[in-house]
Amino acid sequence: MKAGALVENIRMSVRSIASNKVRSFLTALGVMIGTGAVIAMLALGAGAQKSVEGSLQALGSNLLIVYSGQPRGGALIRRSTTNIIPTITDADIEAIRRLIPNLITSLAPESSANGQAKFGSTNVNVTIVGTGVDYPLIRNVRPVTGSFFTPADLDGKKTVVVLGAQVYQDLFQNAGDPLGQKVRLNGLSYRVIGVLERKGNSTTDSSVFVPITTYKRYVSGADKYALVNVQAASVEVMREAQSAIEKELLRLHRLPTMDSADFYIANQLDLLNTLQGVAGTFTLLLGGIAAISLIVGGIGIMNIMLVSVTERTREIGIRMALGAKTGDIIAQFMTEAIILSVGGGLIGIGIGYGTSWAFSKFGGIASEVNLLAVILSFGFSVLIGLFFGGYPAYHASRLDPIQALRYE
Amino acid sequence: MITVKNLSRHYQMGPTIVKALDDVSFTIEGGEFVAIVGPSGSGKSTLMNILGCLDSPTLGSYVLAGEEVSHLKPNQLAEIRNRRIGFVFQSFNLLPRETALENVELPLIYQGVPLKERKKIALAMLERVGLEGREKHIPSELSGGQRQRVAIARALAASPSILLADEPTGALDTKTGVEIMELFHALHKEGSTIILVTHDPGIARQAERVIQIQDGRILKDLPSKEWAA
Ligand SMILES: Nc1ncnc2c1ncn2[C@@H]1O[C@H](COP(=O)(O)OP(=O)(O)OP(=O)(O)O)[C@@H](O)[C@H]1O
Ligand SMILES: [Mg+2]
Repeated sequence: MKAGALVENIRMSVRSIASNKVRSFLTALGVMIGTGAVIAMLALGAGAQKSVEGSLQALGSNLLIVYSGQPRGGALIRRSTTNIIPTITDADIEAIRRLIPNLITSLAPESSANGQAKFGSTNVNVTIVGTGVDYPLIRNVRPVTGSFFTPADLDGKKTVVVLGAQVYQDLFQNAGDPLGQKVRLNGLSYRVIGVLERKGNSTTDSSVFVPITTYKRYVSGADKYALVNVQAASVEVMREAQSAIEKELLRLHRLPTMDSADFYIANQLDLLNTLQGVAGTFTLLLGGIAAISLIVGGIGIMNIMLVSVTERTREIGIRMALGAKTGDIIAQFMTEAIILSVGGGLIGIGIGYGTSWAFSKFGGIASEVNLLAVILSFGFSVLIGLFFGGYPAYHASRLDPIQALRYE
Repeated sequence: MITVKNLSRHYQMGPTIVKALDDVSFTIEGGEFVAIVGPSGSGKSTLMNILGCLDSPTLGSYVLAGEEVSHLKPNQLAEIRNRRIGFVFQSFNLLPRETALENVELPLIYQGVPLKERKKIALAMLERVGLEGREKHIPSELSGGQRQRVAIARALAASPSILLADEPTGALDTKTGVEIMELFHALHKEGSTIILVTHDPGIARQAERVIQIQDGRILKDLPSKEWAA
């Protein structure tokens, strides 16, 4: 086809679309909604993926947790750690510590028990966590007031405590300076040296943290640890660090393989992969449903184009009588279908952006429009115009000129 | 210019065959003005459609300007309609949403004539049929006679070698019909080959030659003076 003919086709199509505005709008509406839905849904999926990654980062980076006992589900962070029967020894900790600095950067053993915290006449049930000085670093939790305990506190088995955000709120009603105040844990008086930022998970927020040495002396006599928080040196060495720890601990525990081990290691990577997989499936599902609506929009175009071909049978006959060839008629109706679907697609992109913005703004749902999704769904809407406009156009081109001229 | 030989057009209607055209032969030279007459249903439009390459004969041959066209494919026929034939219909067959000028441009569009040149030719054609100043009007804003003038301008736009008109005055009142006939006469004087279908013996007499058909066969083929006698 000549370039002039293309311009001519576009001009004719625009005229025909403009001469029936309401119908043209309704025809394109399906594609608009379809394209908009695809973009918005993929944006929602991408947002979900981002927020999954974000909340996982909040747990700490490059986190490995060596748990006592047999594996329990796939959770990285166990909801309750107070009922773990500790199997991890000081020798284990030392063995893991020897992996610094090549494979790991720091570690913090952790044991916990249920207990009661009392300030004045207020009583709260808490989880008393004994741990090391690197805990805030590894688990990505910072004191908002005061500080975490120091190596000196640990060495001196000091009775100092750092409060979780919820515990602080419950005991102090968020009022007054807690630093230096005395809080009783299971009857023994501890000096408050810090309050942690709110993490939004009940486990951390409703815990109180004491030096692990203090914990072993006053809270639980056991000399083994429930778990060890380990920060790997980098993402790349996480697997290596995990297997090195497994190897060391198996040797120390005189065990042949991980199958019979009395400990297991939860790896942040595994969880990340699982969650990303879930978010990916979610995206695919939403995108798939939206894509179906796009196809339905295409069928709408085909439907209207078929009606339009029938209505314009006489016009087609006239054009044929004046020398329009099969290709000219096909090109004319295809151009019309493509203009409708491309126009619908462009408006749909706007709808997609708007919806995604509204999700974030008013729904508080993370969503992020992906340029690839925009290009993809737009391309898809063009294809739909080609595909679903194709049949009506072909149908029009096959009309017999005389029959078409006689059509009333 | 036109030679048809043993031309037939049959329609299968259930078990029976309708012979709309039955073994028709004649030759029309360039520059002739021929009227085709006959009662309703005699096959005049069928013949015109074949001459206009809108339809193909069931049997026989049709040679147009030295080329056998009876077995051409749809796109080849479209090409011939576009370049060699100007067709004027009883019901005008203008595109209702396009202006007079755009209607006249149509055959040129399908020839791929560039916009500027196309406009120039179309304007000249509208002027030729006496419609200067009306080029921006759409058909519903024009009278019947004016619409037929637009249709004639459109038929002339591609400078075809033959002008075919199937009852061009059939939808017009007598006075307007006379004006349209004057236009055909003028075109004939300028050298156009004109074949015109009519019911009206008065119009047929204005041609140089009359072909009278009945039941798909040629009854008479005479110079108009002899036919009228
Ligand atoms: N598509 C068709 N299918 C079947 N029969 C047809 C078809 N077209 C025309 N005919 C028949 O062919 C015969 C000739 O028709 P045609 O239209 O050529 O007549 P006409 O001379 O132009 O008549 P009129 O003066 O009324 O226009 C008629 O009997 C008609 O019924
Ligand atoms: Mg007829």
